[in-house]
Amino acid sequence: MKQRIGVYICHCGGNISDYVDVEKVREAVAQNDGVLIAKTTMFACADSNQKGMVQDIKENQLDGVVVASCSPKLHEITFKAVVERAGLNKYNYVHANIREQVSWPHSDNKAGATQKAIQIVKAAIAKVRLSEAIEPLEVDTTQAVLVIGAGVAGMKAAISLSKMGTKVYLIEREPFIGGRIAQWDVLCLTNETGKELVSRLYTEIVSNKNIALYTGAQLVDCKGSIGNFTAKVKLSPRYVKETCIDKEILKKAINACPVEVPDEFNFGITKRRAIYHNFPAEYPQTAVIDMNSCTRCGKCTEICDKIDLNMKEEFLELKVGSILVATGFDPYTPNEGEFGYNVIDNVITLSQFKRLLAFSEPGKLQWHDKPVKNVAYIYCVGSRQVDGNNKYCSRYCCTATINTALKSNDKFPELNHFHFTRGIRTYGKQEQLYHNASKSGHVFFQSYEDDPCRVEHKNNKTTVKINDILTNRKELEVEADIVVLVTGMVPRSNNNISDILKLPRGRDNFFNEIHMKLRPVETVIDGITIAGACQGPKNVVESINSALSAAIKTYSFVGKDKLMVKPEVAEVTPDLCKWCDECTKACPFDAIFKNEQGVAQVNETVCKGCGMCLPVCPTNAIQLKTFSDIEIASMIDVLANEL
Amino acid sequence: MAKVDLTFGKKLKKYGAIDFNACYNCGTCTAVCALSTEMDSFPREMIRLSVTGQSEDIKASLKPWLCYYCGECTTYCPQEAKPGELMMSLRRYLISRYDWTGLSSIFYQNLTAYIIAFLLVIIAVVGIFLSGTFSKESFMHLGHYFEMIAIGGVFLIILLPNLIRMWRFTLLSKNINANIKHYWIALKDLFTHMFTQKRTLACNDEKDNKVWWFEHFILVIGYLSLLFTTVFLNWFGTKSLVVISMGYLFSAIIFVVTFDFILRRVKKDSTKTTFSHFTDWFFVIWLFLMGLSAFTVRLFLDFNLLERYFWAYLIHITVLAQWALIIVPFGKWMHFLYRSFAMYFDKIAKLAKTGQH
Repeated sequence: MKQRIGVYICHCGGNISDYVDVEKVREAVAQNDGVLIAKTTMFACADSNQKGMVQDIKENQLDGVVVASCSPKLHEITFKAVVERAGLNKYNYVHANIREQVSWPHSDNKAGATQKAIQIVKAAIAKVRLSEAIEPLEVDTTQAVLVIGAGVAGMKAAISLSKMGTKVYLIEREPFIGGRIAQWDVLCLTNETGKELVSRLYTEIVSNKNIALYTGAQLVDCKGSIGNFTAKVKLSPRYVKETCIDKEILKKAINACPVEVPDEFNFGITKRRAIYHNFPAEYPQTAVIDMNSCTRCGKCTEICDKIDLNMKEEFLELKVGSILVATGFDPYTPNEGEFGYNVIDNVITLSQFKRLLAFSEPGKLQWHDKPVKNVAYIYCVGSRQVDGNNKYCSRYCCTATINTALKSNDKFPELNHFHFTRGIRTYGKQEQLYHNASKSGHVFFQSYEDDPCRVEHKNNKTTVKINDILTNRKELEVEADIVVLVTGMVPRSNNNISDILKLPRGRDNFFNEIHMKLRPVETVIDGITIAGACQGPKNVVESINSALSAAIKTYSFVGKDKLMVKPEVAEVTPDLCKWCDECTKACPFDAIFKNEQGVAQVNETVCKGCGMCLPVCPTNAIQLKTFSDIEIASMIDVLANEL
Repeated sequence: MAKVDLTFGKKLKKYGAIDFNACYNCGTCTAVCALSTEMDSFPREMIRLSVTGQSEDIKASLKPWLCYYCGECTTYCPQEAKPGELMMSLRRYLISRYDWTGLSSIFYQNLTAYIIAFLLVIIAVVGIFLSGTFSKESFMHLGHYFEMIAIGGVFLIILLPNLIRMWRFTLLSKNINANIKHYWIALKDLFTHMFTQKRTLACNDEKDNKVWWFEHFILVIGYLSLLFTTVFLNWFGTKSLVVISMGYLFSAIIFVVTFDFILRRVKKDSTKTTFSHFTDWFFVIWLFLMGLSAFTVRLFLDFNLLERYFWAYLIHITVLAQWALIIVPFGKWMHFLYRSFAMYFDKIAKLAKTGQH
């Protein structure tokens, strides 16, 4: 029981005192049990008052402090810092909100407002009387980080972390690194190819001893919490030894393979063998065998002795202090028949078109042996859906399309471009590309979502029709040799990372940050950050920005040997626990487990102090620190007694 | 259903259009235009029709003629798409569309063809003179007859059929229910606009728009008066002092004003004089030459020098023939006619629409 409590009642200029008789409040609480000092002040947050409070606490050896002022969201931190400066534990401070909860909403009833303020302050005093000093929890941390996904975001984050001196495990599920940008040709504004960017990042990664890169590596399990995660990673074999880099032999081995399957690197518009690599000088530079399609005929092994079909998968156990997730995106796959997709032969997606442009020889562009001259682009396919789940704008696609169209003319000068848009969003510096495209004769049409353009195929001709709002809604038609559906971004498919790491997803199915603006790379799981397009549509620049910011945040978790975590967590009284398992079911963070004594125990570094476990416990064995039953009951008593 | 036609835009560039493809449909041009109204909204709409190649819609539209090219749209265009110059190019295009002979289309798109036509006229005139069939005096008589025949011929063979075509494209094809009364009432507009170009005054006053209008106005009056003086009052053959002095005055007006117009194009001092199609240069220079050579011929006559310096008349009649046979029927001169008839037809269409009498 605290017996030397200081109470400060704030005028807030007149914000409070115009409606609440603060002097009356002071008088009403001054004689309360345990109150030593009760004062009013014009501005509690003012520097002079803060100094006065420090002095009061020190001179009178106060053991509890209440400030009745504005919302705790505004100044609770301020006053907690004041009491700490005076040598008091910050949990011996309780904040009473008599502005947002009293003076502002009850400006029509001054007497009632004053009465309510008195009760609220008395309740705060009741709580502070029972408050206990507690200290932040200290956790030992493993100074290593797991980065999931070796795309542009993951690679950049890994490099950044390693430069700060942290050990980094960079794992990539695919047999090759680079993620999506390895598939893209010339990127906008910088005019480098995706491959160039990947090779620059790769060179930096392999020359860096702090980074361990694994390809064909998939996270299968993860235990632990901030500071100490144990990640289990499955390593799929390549079946081709890394020493096999003789390009000629490799080429022969690939050509010997009798199996042909759609090539996902080219989004299915070409075929590849069961043993493959996507392009010369890809990283890692040796081929891989896709065991899902391999028939184990052994033809390749006859040519190259460095191919071993009997390699086995391995498992790694990585101990890390933090995890950075950068699993990227998939291009949206249109539904069967959406703008003629999969029904009309020359309707393809932007990703497919980009690959087609990349691997076609300069000169005349062809699609299924027919020359291509007129290209029609249909925008916002799979984004800004009226009826579907993808309400969002995918951000990168307007720019990507216009950039692709502009660059295509370097290789194929005869191409004409017709853009069927829902409004062009080439934001920022990318606007210049839109200007260049218009100027060089690209035609842009626009329609609203309620009246989309239509793709028709008749008499061996494909036409796109639109009621163009830029031309008085006149119905215009373009005969197109190829129709490109500008598909947006969706999260990577078969991505079970969120199940393993318990990462929450938003309504759009991308991973959710804690706060879009203020905590943009942290997740609700302490110690796990997100970067790049797994969080939502981003272009390369934005992905790298978020990767660097996630790297810094991650470093803040593992940079020191020890980590402080908030002590306001749940606490089990072992004698009362009968282990019914209700609390573990209620916990959204998997913070409660059954310990060796057969009772519930809270993992304090995982617990968020949400309180979900409290009401489900039949024996009342769980208490939340700083919000214990007796503290809350004493507040209720005060509030109820006055009525 | 209308097909998008990219070739149209490419063709339009030969008529002088610049960068109109850069348009992103903000509509600033239409907003700043002092002549654009809710009913007759331009230039954005015309740009859009040009970008998508809706040549039939353009052919049937009077809007290019409603623009008097103050240049504000070009000044304020955020994309520098130069809408004013597009409207100008569309007028050139429409001239060639109205022309049944197809020669306007060739001349506007091909400088070489244009020059060849000018050379052919020189060869014809000089050839006739050198053939020796005519004395100097009878050659001048022939010149006078030529003037009269050219005026009548060009009017009957080119201007009238072309005007009928224009009427068909812009009024008849749109099923406008106009009656004879509407045609009669609107006649007032035809003559007002033909002789005053008063819509120019409604334009935003960019630079010295009003000065320009005044110069243009006296040039038109001077030109028509000189035409009348030479053709019907036989300026080169008359003894009447009044007629002689009138001719001096009118021809002087022509070459003085056109000299200023040439200077404006050289200096590019306003938006409308910044971009000159080659036909624009031919137009102002030939009008200048015509005024100056007519003035000189009459001066030589009055000082009895023409006998010795007959080349002066030869130059004059060559310039005149080129003017009457090429520039008038197949070029910029037609603005004079089509613009006023566009205003006339537009008025008729509006009268028919509102049912006013």
